[in-house]
Amino acid sequence: MPIVSLENVSKDYMLGKTVVPALRDVTLSIDRGEFLSIAGPSGSGKTTLLNLVGCVDTPTAGRVVVGDQDTSTLSERELTELRLRTLGFIFQSFNLVSVLSVFQNVEFPLLLQGGLAKKERAARVLELLEAVGIAAHARHRPSELSGGQRQRVAIARALVTRPAIVLADEPTANLDSATGENIIDLMKEMNRRDGTTFIFSTHDPKVMAHASAIVRIADGRLAAREAVDAAAAAGRR
Amino acid sequence: MAGRRDRVRILLRIAFRNLLASKVRTGILGAIILVGSLIVVVGSSVLDSIDRGMRTSIQGSLGGHLQVYDARSEGALELYGGLRGESLLEPIEDFARVKAVLSKVPNVKQVVPMGIDQAMVATGNTFDVALARLRDDARRLEAGEDSPGVRSGYAAHLAHLRRMVGLLHQEIAQARSIADLGGRDAADRKREWEALQRADTAEFWDGFDRDRYANLEFLENRVAPLAMDNAFTFLRYVGTDVDAFFRAFPLAEVIQGERIPPGQRGILIGKQFAEEWLKLKNARRLDQIKERRDRGKRIAKDEELQRWVRENRSGIRDILLKLDPVKAEEVARELRPALGAAEGEPLEALLGRLFATTDENFARHYELFYRSIAPRLRLYQIDVGDTITIKAPSKSGYFSSINVKVYGFLQFKGIEKSGIAGMMSVMDMLSFRDLYGYLTREKAEEIKRLKATMGAREVERDAAEEALFGAGNTLVGESKAGRIDERALVGPERPGAPAADLAARVYTQDEIDGGVALNAALILEDPGKLRATARDVRAAIEREKLGLKVVDWQEAAGLVGQFVTLLRVVLFTAVLIFFAIALVIINNAMVMATLQRVKEIGTMRALGTQRRFVVAMLLVEIAAVGIVFGLGGAVLGAGAVGLIRVAGGIPAVTDLLYFVFSGPALFPRLGAMPVGVSLAIVLAVAILSALYPAVIAMRVTPVEAMSSED
Repeated sequence: MPIVSLENVSKDYMLGKTVVPALRDVTLSIDRGEFLSIAGPSGSGKTTLLNLVGCVDTPTAGRVVVGDQDTSTLSERELTELRLRTLGFIFQSFNLVSVLSVFQNVEFPLLLQGGLAKKERAARVLELLEAVGIAAHARHRPSELSGGQRQRVAIARALVTRPAIVLADEPTANLDSATGENIIDLMKEMNRRDGTTFIFSTHDPKVMAHASAIVRIADGRLAAREAVDAAAAAGRR
Repeated sequence: MAGRRDRVRILLRIAFRNLLASKVRTGILGAIILVGSLIVVVGSSVLDSIDRGMRTSIQGSLGGHLQVYDARSEGALELYGGLRGESLLEPIEDFARVKAVLSKVPNVKQVVPMGIDQAMVATGNTFDVALARLRDDARRLEAGEDSPGVRSGYAAHLAHLRRMVGLLHQEIAQARSIADLGGRDAADRKREWEALQRADTAEFWDGFDRDRYANLEFLENRVAPLAMDNAFTFLRYVGTDVDAFFRAFPLAEVIQGERIPPGQRGILIGKQFAEEWLKLKNARRLDQIKERRDRGKRIAKDEELQRWVRENRSGIRDILLKLDPVKAEEVARELRPALGAAEGEPLEALLGRLFATTDENFARHYELFYRSIAPRLRLYQIDVGDTITIKAPSKSGYFSSINVKVYGFLQFKGIEKSGIAGMMSVMDMLSFRDLYGYLTREKAEEIKRLKATMGAREVERDAAEEALFGAGNTLVGESKAGRIDERALVGPERPGAPAADLAARVYTQDEIDGGVALNAALILEDPGKLRATARDVRAAIEREKLGLKVVDWQEAAGLVGQFVTLLRVVLFTAVLIFFAIALVIINNAMVMATLQRVKEIGTMRALGTQRRFVVAMLLVEIAAVGIVFGLGGAVLGAGAVGLIRVAGGIPAVTDLLYFVFSGPALFPRLGAMPVGVSLAIVLAVAILSALYPAVIAMRVTPVEAMSSED
């Protein structure tokens, strides 16, 4: 059973009085443990697709099922709860809470969830900070870190609740290519380690090459879903 | 549970760190809230203190707790006078009944009758006083009383009068040199001038003893009227049951003389009135200069003080007039060494030196005046022990006048210097009724007796023509001839001079109560139950059909009473405007802050933060600022109030303030109420102004976190 499935999903935006279709009749299913890249030029609908999967937006038509829940049947509060329990987010511009330290940023989702004692919480946060290689900066504020370091913190934050799916919107766009590749490698490592499903958007072919599958989008339509090897081959080529 | 606590902790942490992260914004919001809270605390403390001061002043001087007056009255009761003079009140015809009914209402301790009005008081002139003294001496000489004492007194008074005539002659000569002598009254003027010239000749004074009475009469009728100083003054008085008055108004005290003996007629003159209107002008000005100097003013630097010094120099003639030669010589003897003057320097020059006061010599000269001069002349035109004539237009239109003895000077403790309360004199109820022109029971009976004796018939106005001229038969009415029995008219029980008798007579409580009053003050056992008691009093009035209106002390005080209400409105408006502006500024700053944090809020929402967490975070932020700076403002306000107290309070610079502050300065007291209220207001405003930003924050969707522009 797929962890995410979209059935005939359309999403329209209003731009003034004109309707701008962002997604048209998209049907897609993503399995557990995939490391999926959504590729396409800017304005193709990548972000819209991620937003729908990430339960931060709802479709104009069609069905989006995340975990085993149909998002259109959920209330705002239930959607929020679903994001908290099932999803992790990595943003293009990192989006750390500036007034919290690295440790506190990573701890934040755990505090929202509740249920863990302080010690377990600290242990889990530290373990993740070790895993992303940023433990030495635990007490620093985000503003004291480089872009790559911040994105590592963001990855730790996305993974700290052990979500089923991590969504990453252009996670390397604000990083230089070397750092970007490091980040993708880190994500891949996490994907392998815990079996977490990663879905990330990018228009950088080098980043795409790391994916296990690529979904190509153009003009709001699903153009292709390429297999792992083909994608890998394309990347190596 | 643990989860909830963790969430609250992280919420507070983010909120507080946000506040600290934008110190400038927090500082500005805090400053606004601090100032607001400060204004409310200081303002309401001052206002509360003023309220208390006014309560003391009004309740303790005239107001009591409640006042009743006739409901048919045209005007409202204004105890301290209104813009249009005295209140137009219909009289309470039978005060005894009102007292009987209202005394029975629970919580009513005392019912004090009152009648407030203004009257004219003849103050006489210095000429009259000197002439009266001379006539007294002359009478004793004519009666054969002959001793060196009487002789020297007579000679001194004669010389005094001669000097006065001399001075008057000079003054009028000066006036004639600039006046138009050809006017309408030219003939009169000429006659007066001739009389004055005659009076200022050596022959007149040398021959004075040949016909003392005729010469006195000449001076009294022809010369004295030319000295036009101080014919009369106006006196504001309350006619009341004097004993009840002193029991009801603890601030009232007699500071000179004694109380009017129980049940007797008499008047206690308001001390401040005496100071301002009856005191020798030079003495009054010296007092005023001293008072200003005590408050830190200096003659050298203050235009008004300099003017007073100048006026004092021109007031010397008045003092010379008041001193007979014997006393004048005594004064001169004492002044010469004290002022370091040469032997033989005349009194006028000495007084000139005395009143030419500077900052250096003022204290000494002031003391000298009160030691050497004041005891030797009449300092007040009306003094304790005098019997004065008071005139007032009565209710029925004619002028009534009475003679009452001045038993003392009256003041109200704490508000001695206030013209509002200090102008008030207190008179017995019966004299008031005489002046007011309403019949006392005894007068009514007297008139009834007179009518019976003289056969007068009461004639109705409508039937007057018929009754007086007859409808038919004869034009000549019957007249009942009879000898007029004067003793019977006056009344068999009171032979002799009735006027002297009136002053000595002791009236019973029934007589004091039985008759007219204009209003009545109610004193309550427990002033805290004022509203309830007012209700009970109204019910009793309704039940007994007394036709009275009940007002509380504040309303009864009229314009003065509205002062605090006015202040309250002003403060309230100021606070309202301030907080309206504060609301806009805080709101604006919070909106800006929220918009700046849209991405962060979006991120938090994406991570799974519920809306209420975000809203709570914003409200905690602003509430924290509100509490911290509100408390800070309250503490500063308390400090300011303390500082005002230490610095000697807020000075009462005007008469109204003196009365309202119930003393020369207001010492604001910090209450728990103002602090609590100010915190509540500040918090309410802060939270209100954060509501719109909170709505904006609530509308932030997780999508905002995704937007990649940075």
